[in-house]
Amino acid sequence: MSLLCVGNSEDKTALKAVLKKLLVLPVTMILVSFLTFAAFEAVSGDPARTMLGTEATEEQVQSLRQELGLDRPFAQRYFRWLGGFFSGDLGISYSYRQPVRDLIGSKLLITLLLSLISFTLITVVSLPLGVISYRWKTTVFNQLFMAFPPFFTGILISWVFGIIFRLFTPGAFPDIYTDTGRALVHLFFGSICLAVPRIAMTVRMLRSTVVSEMNKAYVRTAISRGNDRQGVLKRHVLKNSLVSAVSFLGQTLAELVGAGIVVEQVLGIPGLGRFLVTSILHRDYPVIQAIVVILALWVGLAGVLADLINQAIDPRLRIRQGVVSA
Amino acid sequence: MKLKAGLIITAFLLIVALVGLFWTPYSPTAMVSARFTKPCAEHLFGTDNFGRDILSRAMKGLGTTFVIAFTTVLIGAVAGTLVGSVTGYYGGMTDHILMRFNDAVTAFPTFLLALLIVSLVGPGGRYSVILALGLVFIPGFARVMRSEYASLRNRNFVTNARLMGAGDARILFIYLLPNTVRVFLPAFTIGFNNAVLAEAGLSFLGIGVTPPDASLGYMLAEAQGMLAAAPWYALFTGAVIVLLVFGVGLIGEGLQNFMGEVE
Repeated sequence: MSLLCVGNSEDKTALKAVLKKLLVLPVTMILVSFLTFAAFEAVSGDPARTMLGTEATEEQVQSLRQELGLDRPFAQRYFRWLGGFFSGDLGISYSYRQPVRDLIGSKLLITLLLSLISFTLITVVSLPLGVISYRWKTTVFNQLFMAFPPFFTGILISWVFGIIFRLFTPGAFPDIYTDTGRALVHLFFGSICLAVPRIAMTVRMLRSTVVSEMNKAYVRTAISRGNDRQGVLKRHVLKNSLVSAVSFLGQTLAELVGAGIVVEQVLGIPGLGRFLVTSILHRDYPVIQAIVVILALWVGLAGVLADLINQAIDPRLRIRQGVVSA
Repeated sequence: MKLKAGLIITAFLLIVALVGLFWTPYSPTAMVSARFTKPCAEHLFGTDNFGRDILSRAMKGLGTTFVIAFTTVLIGAVAGTLVGSVTGYYGGMTDHILMRFNDAVTAFPTFLLALLIVSLVGPGGRYSVILALGLVFIPGFARVMRSEYASLRNRNFVTNARLMGAGDARILFIYLLPNTVRVFLPAFTIGFNNAVLAEAGLSFLGIGVTPPDASLGYMLAEAQGMLAAAPWYALFTGAVIVLLVFGVGLIGEGLQNFMGEVE
């Protein structure tokens, strides 16, 4: 079987692996959405009654339940939700009585920007640092920066840059559409908070990859044949270290949305994470459900993206994955 | 060197937290001085908006943080080791299914997962935080322990034990478990740090520890509100968190290096 596959052209097997990954993604999302739907179903009690308070009459409760479609059986509601999700209808928020899609729109954009800016920051700073750090003996600074939680950095930044230097107003986020410049400055400060510990982690991870790669036999061979260390590092080691770096950064991209929640809270950035927290406090399950599935999509896409890049830079992966997938 | 420095820092904080259980310079809840007193000889960390002594509150908060972080990691470590040992040792279909499930869960951001579990259990209170974080840490430990068990299961001393008539449980926990210490201890320190940060994050968001309990994260959220009037509150509280995570992180890295040398 495997012989047949190796016989195939490299591109074809790579394509197959990619398609498979993309097919798994919706399945995962449906699974995630079902699990959250079922979990909230189990704990939520009667949302209609909660929304109306204790003084509502039985008729009022009944009519609201009908309005929200809560009188239907669980499976029917789930499939209606699922169908709605794929056609862009995310349901109606319990607390705002508005379509979740309208509530989420700009918040999603803000969270995406926050994650992408900090991701760029992490990549741009940590890749070169990680490579030159293989010669450093100490990693104490790494440990120190890893210990800085984003919410503390956020407070420090809002104290220094917000209260002392007045470069931005921590609590008041400028409108992203009309006041884009200042909004981006605000997001930039937020992304620093996210980036600090993650840059330290990435540098540490890269450093240990480069160090272990430099101890391998092929490096010794290359050096004994008269190449200089620097050249071997540039030509061979970097390429080989890149694969684990890309996987790590993919994982980072996925985790940024989780860490971003706290930063949005600290600096008053009206993103998805902050909305998620208020929705949790108000038990607004349709909103939580929608945000969770969107974030799951984000996490999944980050993983697929990392795999794709890795397959592009490492031919060994293309062949290996082709064999496994067939 | 790192190990030693880490141990000293962590031990110092642990002692402070232990002392805080029985004695604090002032009552952590009483209004003992003028509000917003700057750090001085009587109040090393200053006072907050009610004139409460911040050092006393931080000592109590550190204790809460220690207890919650340690309990959650313990839950994650014990359950994760059980899952990891069984799947790693036996392999086969159960292993395959559980590990796929594990991969799916670990791909999701830990903090988000904890947040969702808290929202399911009902926010507020230290027990829902412990439960949520404990559950969230199981897959990580399971994965680490599984690969360790899988790599050990065919070693000669295991075959030897089996030939001598040792049962599976005995092999798993008497013969194999001590040999996993190489990965278990560093994983425990990393888990502890993640627990400290996650608990602080949850409490910071207001869905973790609630008053009268005060963890460091909750205090930091409180401190943010008075950042202009009393920046020292946030600075000192945050510094304690950073010091704790730094100290335990050094222990973890020191342990890893030490175990590497032993091999």
